[in-house]
Amino acid sequence: MDGFTYHDIFQTKGIEYLVIIAFLIILIPFWIIINRKDIIIRKIKETFGILTSDILKIPKGVFFSNHHTWAHLEKSGVAEVGLDDWLLHLAGEVEFGQIKEKGAEIKKGEILTQIVSKGRFLNIISPISGVVIDTNPMLREDASIIGQDPYKKGWICKIEPSSWKSETSSFYVGEEAKQWLKIELERFKDFISISLAKNHPESSLIIMQEGGELRDHPLYDLPKDVWQDFQKIFLDSEV
Amino acid sequence: MSNTKYAIAKDNDGKNMLKFLLGELKPKGKIITPFNIISVPVILVGTVIIVYRFIHGLGSVSNISQEIPWGLWKGFNVVTGVAFAGGAYVLTFIVYILNVKKFHSLVRITVLNGFLAYMFYAGALVLDLGKPWNIINPIIGNSFGASSVLFLVAWHFLLYMIAQLIEFSPAIAEWLGARRAHKILSGMTLAAVIFGITLSTLHQSGLGAMYLMAKEKIHPLWYSEFIPVMFFVSSIFAGLSLVIFEGSISKKVFSDQISDKNHKAHHGIVISFAKVCAVTMFAYFFLQILVFVHGQHWDLLNTSMGYWYLTEMLGFVLFPMLLFFYGYRRDNSLLVKIAAIITMLGIIINRLNVTIIGFRWDAVPRYYPSWMEIVVSLAIIFTEIWIFRWIINRMPVLRESPIWAKNQK
Repeated sequence: MDGFTYHDIFQTKGIEYLVIIAFLIILIPFWIIINRKDIIIRKIKETFGILTSDILKIPKGVFFSNHHTWAHLEKSGVAEVGLDDWLLHLAGEVEFGQIKEKGAEIKKGEILTQIVSKGRFLNIISPISGVVIDTNPMLREDASIIGQDPYKKGWICKIEPSSWKSETSSFYVGEEAKQWLKIELERFKDFISISLAKNHPESSLIIMQEGGELRDHPLYDLPKDVWQDFQKIFLDSEV
Repeated sequence: MSNTKYAIAKDNDGKNMLKFLLGELKPKGKIITPFNIISVPVILVGTVIIVYRFIHGLGSVSNISQEIPWGLWKGFNVVTGVAFAGGAYVLTFIVYILNVKKFHSLVRITVLNGFLAYMFYAGALVLDLGKPWNIINPIIGNSFGASSVLFLVAWHFLLYMIAQLIEFSPAIAEWLGARRAHKILSGMTLAAVIFGITLSTLHQSGLGAMYLMAKEKIHPLWYSEFIPVMFFVSSIFAGLSLVIFEGSISKKVFSDQISDKNHKAHHGIVISFAKVCAVTMFAYFFLQILVFVHGQHWDLLNTSMGYWYLTEMLGFVLFPMLLFFYGYRRDNSLLVKIAAIITMLGIIINRLNVTIIGFRWDAVPRYYPSWMEIVVSLAIIFTEIWIFRWIINRMPVLRESPIWAKNQK
């Protein structure tokens, strides 16, 4: 064929080998960095006391309801329920009000207990219906375990569920729950700005420092009317 | 959560099929929109030009000459369009072969896009042929032309369109309420997907292989024996970038059809694609460096074409790759979308460089597409979008499938 010249392929072989070796060498940090999931940044934020969705504990096998309570069915047929880490990080240190006693019947949507802090309170809605088998005695003595271990030691009630399958069919679990809580955190940031701008414009500066990030336990310092609005918007939502 | 709140596709509920189809022909949605106002005149003028082209011949509407016989329609609509339609095979590979279910919501719309793309760009090819009636020859055997890459391209287009039609047909069956057909067609999906992916690998590179013969005609910085490999690798991130871009537009335009769950999932999908694009573009960039080194044309870098080459490689490959990388790490979908747009421009530039800009760059006079070619080119794309929109408004592409279809699965 006309017009064909032949390269001496050996002329560039050395450089080509070097390019390939450079590619492989650069590939290693490239791959590591692209997969690293921002661990360092998350750790930094945690030490600064900044609340982001990365620091929330979200076990993969626990079902989360819209009311920010979780339920987990044991093999014995009894379900444990409790509060999710999102709510606990927002509220900070709380005490528990009256919890439904053993033997009481509870329906999904009814008030299970209250968390109280300095005269403000939040009603905790039960995620499932059934009979209360047990309540956690540790909560009376040392409520702080719920903050440390909200899904194991910090359970609130053990309930024998009457219709587990139908009631939990719309609950969030696993990766879905992670995404949902991320979105709930964003919703909370918006809620805070609106709520504070409405009633207490001077406080909004305290909460939204660090370039728009939330400090941990933002609800702790906020007044009663914000807690009431929070109850309405986040905890009382219909499933 | 079941999405009964959102409109599910109506099966015709036992309505007479003819009545149903006639009903479906009525326009849905607003008639006066900015897109309609721009596209309708272009389509009408384009149609007139196409008719004129068939009466008076190719030379009467385009600047194609004996020296430069391939123009905008082949270079842009066929070669670039097919690169973008690569999203279909990449996505079906990820969802059906690698079994990553979270992208499943995007498969139908991407396959639809691929199907329409190939249909329209095969049409564009017909327009750009000197003797369009000969296009049937590779298929029927009146001189197969088996020694040409075009033989492969012709057969692949035909077979791939059939495969994509089979992949998409369950959506059509759901629209028509044809339950038995739906069951049969759904069973064929995996086979069609595998077939489609196999075909795609070859015809994506085949379109590049067509240019291997034109060694003296393409500028040395873009000509190499590796054009087919480059075209194939770049089609991966070209297709994904189009899926990101189009998905963002569809999300706004058709937002009432998309379920809540899929709306929320969009961000995660975009970010995952960013990672795939970043890695592929990283490999592609190094492949380009290798090809450049192998070609030994470093002295050409200091020419105007050389600067253009560097602009393409650094500004439209390396830069968006870094944007994808950074957007993925920062979980920032806006950056990813910007990167997708720049990548798409880069692919257009790359394909045009091989087919038009770098092709006979030394010819006097140079080839510039005539305004009529540009209008027809746009008319083809707009018509495709019209049909795309027609289908999405009627068939369960973005919407959830009807309950009977879901239960069949």
